Amino acid sequence: MKDIMAGRVKNTSVSRKRLRRLSKNITPYLLMSPTIILIFIFLLIPLGFAVYCSLYRCDYMQFTKFVGLNNYTDVLGDPEILMSFARTFFVSGISLVIALIAGVIVALWIHTASKRFAYALQIITLIPWVTSMVVAAMLWKWILQDEIGLLNYFLAEIGLPKVGFLTNKNIAIYTLIFVMTWRVIGYVMVQILAGLKAIPYEYEEAALIDGASGWDLFWRVRLPLVKTPLAISATIVGLSNINNLNVPLTLLAGGPGTSTMVTAIKVYRMSFTSYHFGEASALSIIMCLINFILVIFYVKEVKYEFKNA
Amino acid sequence: MNLRTHKRALRGILVFIVFIIVLTINLVPFLWGASTSLKTARELMIYPPKFINFTMSWEHYITVLKGSFSQAAVNSIIYSIVSVVLGLICAILSGYAFARYAFKGKKTLFYLILSGIPLAMGSAAMVVPNYMLFSVLGMNNRWFTLPLIYAAYNVPMAVWIMTGGVLSVPYAIEEAAQIDGSSKWYIIFCLVPRMCLPTLACAALMIFIGAWNEYTVSSVLVNTQKLYPIQVSIYNYIGYFGREWGPLTAAATLAVIPILIVFTFLGKLLISGLTAGAIKE
Repeated sequence: MKDIMAGRVKNTSVSRKRLRRLSKNITPYLLMSPTIILIFIFLLIPLGFAVYCSLYRCDYMQFTKFVGLNNYTDVLGDPEILMSFARTFFVSGISLVIALIAGVIVALWIHTASKRFAYALQIITLIPWVTSMVVAAMLWKWILQDEIGLLNYFLAEIGLPKVGFLTNKNIAIYTLIFVMTWRVIGYVMVQILAGLKAIPYEYEEAALIDGASGWDLFWRVRLPLVKTPLAISATIVGLSNINNLNVPLTLLAGGPGTSTMVTAIKVYRMSFTSYHFGEASALSIIMCLINFILVIFYVKEVKYEFKNA
Repeated sequence: MNLRTHKRALRGILVFIVFIIVLTINLVPFLWGASTSLKTARELMIYPPKFINFTMSWEHYITVLKGSFSQAAVNSIIYSIVSVVLGLICAILSGYAFARYAFKGKKTLFYLILSGIPLAMGSAAMVVPNYMLFSVLGMNNRWFTLPLIYAAYNVPMAVWIMTGGVLSVPYAIEEAAQIDGSSKWYIIFCLVPRMCLPTLACAALMIFIGAWNEYTVSSVLVNTQKLYPIQVSIYNYIGYFGREWGPLTAAATLAVIPILIVFTFLGKLLISGLTAGAIKE
């Protein structure tokens, strides 16, 4: 009896050990599975399906004919779409450059300020980034109205002529750039500020002892050391601007004429106004490829290291 | 000495002026929107506009709240809570796996999730793919689709934040708990989260903001009023009310309030959440 008991105990302990080893091998994958499933279902499989759809004629969600790469050549041969790409890059690029310069300047300025003041300023400049784009664009639209807008009222007060911020073909695109830049400056600033704070004080002290001027300190010490946050915020802001549908749609909806028709609106209209889903998926895939280039840049910049693994 | 105090005063004034400019540019749309929403319909169109001496009225808020807006607000609250809970569960599990285990394919998985952070931001490129797959699967106009999408879009960032959080918890504490006989589930879902509560809150905040503000995908995946989230409802108001800026600004103000409340109380967490990707500790 005792032997049998002992045997059984021994037996179970062995199998339990094996089970534990097995579970130890599986555990991390089990832990990862919910996240991976979510990402696959909502990001990767849709992209794969879109690649499939982009090879078909698919108006009104009816797959009618296999057309190979025709959708792609159609999309890339359409001068209106090429123009929308040019507009998108123009708007995103200018907005990015202004946001980076302004963000760095404001960050350098806040860096020297007292802690509480810096915190208040950070919070205030971040408000545009965290409020919804639909709401923000709508409120700007109200301020920029031709006749009863707040800004035109002030312009008239100081004796300037009224400006058709939303109705003038040549000005509307700059209005769009302004609102998009307004949204992202705070984000850039916070990233750069965090980078500046992470610079060890000894570096700056050493530079100052060596007789560096404030200008030198910025170009030779601070700027190289905030290169990573600068690059990362540039990537995120660039991506966010290129893919921004809400602001252009709410603020100007592509108009007046097609003067602010960016690619994001084009995709949206192509699929949900004219229901050409085949071509719309081809255009989406092209946009995704542009995104991927930026994503790769982002991943490279983040330079993750497995410390405790 | 005198010169120096002069210089300091001058600098103080300059700082003050820049501060006022930054303040105005950042806040003017919200302040002007809020003040517009409190005016009567007649005073709203008056030119020159009134700044302070208008009669306050809540009529636009009443109009908005009587309409479909309240339903949309409730929907958005439910969607956000579901996606925060779901996203946090995923983030805690994955963060724990990344921080505590060495396994095959870890690097690949990590890069996959890392690239998901900016990929989810590319919502204009994702809207058609998401729409097509989910309408083929018959998942549009379902109550669960939007929270799942919100969770999926924001989970990469949350995982990234939580991995750092779990790494900050000393392993010795876990060992001690294990010796005391606590189960792995207890450690993952109670002990570790409690030890890195600020990080957890930060991840929750990022998911909440992402879910509350999402418009693009929601606008195509749901087309019954009963299921509209708040952003879609506001956008539709632009078509519905046209140039009636009273109800529009009232709705906008109501939609911004939760974010502003979160902001004033949890600003520090938000900043740490936003900078999580950029700064190597």
